[in-house]
Amino acid sequence: MGKTMIQKIIQRASGKEVQVGDRVWCKIDLSTARDFGGPNCVLQFDEVTEKGKVWDPDKIAFTFDLQAPAHAEKVANNQKIIRDFAKRQGITKVFDVNWGIGQHVLLENGLVKPGDVILGTDSHMNLLGGVGAFATGVGNTDIVASWINGTLWFRVPETMKITVNGSFARGVCMRDFLTFLVGKLGADGMFFKAVEFYGETIEKSSLADRITLCSMVTEMSGKVGLIMPNGEVLDWLVKRAGTEVLDRVQTLKADPDAVYSEDLHFDVTGLEPMASCPDAPDNVKTVREAAGAHIDQVHIGSCSNGRFEDIAAAFEVLKAANFQISDSVRTIITPSTREVMKQCAEAGFIQKFLEAGVIFTNPTCSLCTAEHYGVLPGGDVGVSTTNRNFIGKVGKGSHTYLVSPMTAMASAVKGVLTDPRDILK
Amino acid sequence: MEQNVLRGKAWVFTDDVDTDLIYHNKYLAETDPKKMAQYSFEYYPGKEKFAKEAKPGDFVVAGRNFGTGSSREHAVYCLKELGIPVVLAESFARIYYRNAINNGYPVLFVKGLSDAIKEGKVKDGDELEVNIATGEIKDLTNGNTFHGDAVTDLEKDIMASGGLIEYLKAQAAKK
Repeated sequence: MGKTMIQKIIQRASGKEVQVGDRVWCKIDLSTARDFGGPNCVLQFDEVTEKGKVWDPDKIAFTFDLQAPAHAEKVANNQKIIRDFAKRQGITKVFDVNWGIGQHVLLENGLVKPGDVILGTDSHMNLLGGVGAFATGVGNTDIVASWINGTLWFRVPETMKITVNGSFARGVCMRDFLTFLVGKLGADGMFFKAVEFYGETIEKSSLADRITLCSMVTEMSGKVGLIMPNGEVLDWLVKRAGTEVLDRVQTLKADPDAVYSEDLHFDVTGLEPMASCPDAPDNVKTVREAAGAHIDQVHIGSCSNGRFEDIAAAFEVLKAANFQISDSVRTIITPSTREVMKQCAEAGFIQKFLEAGVIFTNPTCSLCTAEHYGVLPGGDVGVSTTNRNFIGKVGKGSHTYLVSPMTAMASAVKGVLTDPRDILK
Repeated sequence: MEQNVLRGKAWVFTDDVDTDLIYHNKYLAETDPKKMAQYSFEYYPGKEKFAKEAKPGDFVVAGRNFGTGSSREHAVYCLKELGIPVVLAESFARIYYRNAINNGYPVLFVKGLSDAIKEGKVKDGDELEVNIATGEIKDLTNGNTFHGDAVTDLEKDIMASGGLIEYLKAQAAKK
């Protein structure tokens, strides 16, 4: 019987023939922690090992992205705990507060290959499945266990197959498909499963779109969404991570007779801009249905939609509106990494955004937490390209619509929730 | 066997309780598990006083996908430190499930609990009796009964050791 991608990845990492439901110990290729969760890992590791040595300093990385640079003394001290530990342990892969969102930084720095098993203290680690890696968010105990002996336990999951065909209409993008999918499958629609994405829409999609798609698997309770790199994405990845990527793509792709728990097909032709309405990602409507809703703030960024292509799509909408945004909303754009920020500068976007009154920030996770600039007061309504909108997530009593970068910018232009097709005529 | 039978009050929650509602991101910089208890459910509408009013031995009772969202282990520590002996839910989100097991913190999978909560068959303040050995759950206030399944396979072994780190130490000692 054929194997799915996740089965092949776990077989490679565990050295065992596996079946769905097996519990196995996998070798970890990269075990990461960030400024949130990282200090907890360090303190716990030092306690349980009595300040012992990590299993392999070259397979550990730290990223600083949730509260970067530090905005409070407690956070600053936490970040120092990580820096000191890295120095003591000889860990050199430390991407400090000037780098940006962890997973994106790891990817840009060539530390992620298809088939790698990667851990991190971020529930959206699995966006690295966008290049075929089995990356997963875990708590500090899992990280500490991996630092001790370089392995971790996993249950071999069922795999769901999703095939996406068709082309997006103007003003509609991968984020809208994702929002549609979350609405269709629900908050636990991929419960504990791996997901493989196929179809012409996926094959033609950019790395940014694949990241969006795989990051939101978390919001359907999936373990990891996997796309085997092809075309331009494959070329990009080989340049960053080396030619071993090419072997992995061949050896780890799913068998033609692999067994899937579901086989779903979608066509994005005719899909409209979609919104996750307050207060849950799976409370989904078309933007048309929700249009006109009062909003106070617009935020474009996050690990889901903070790549150059996302910001460029927002820029196109702003351009179509003659670079005018509404005075009634606060508009914040946060690139995912320094590299993305540089691309935005080179493309001339930042100048235009600033002239329009947009707040263009340094690269961070930004408004995924209430412990960051841009926090909302009670009763305020935000529009955001982040991935969760539970009540009060970015400020007690506040509400959030989750949308695409184009819908977010269209809403900034009009000052109310707006379908970008009203501007992109 | 008596020590396996626990009694306490039910605190009832919906489906898809996100980690921000259990332990809000505002307090993520906290690194001492003992200090995390005070923030439990502070952002859950209607349960803001949970940390102050819940007594050790009370139960958290929830629907499907409990603990969805973030990887923060704070969301397990806070309830454990508060003395909540077990979380009863129809199902648990993936990372929350791992974090609970890895800390030796008991969870029971209770079939039909999501609907039972929606239908008012178990309510806030109900007196519950939970047998953590058999999984038998009685709502002493209204007489309704439920059955909870404990974890199996490797997870059961990790739980028996008291958590992942303890399990690894025991395994290393065997070699």
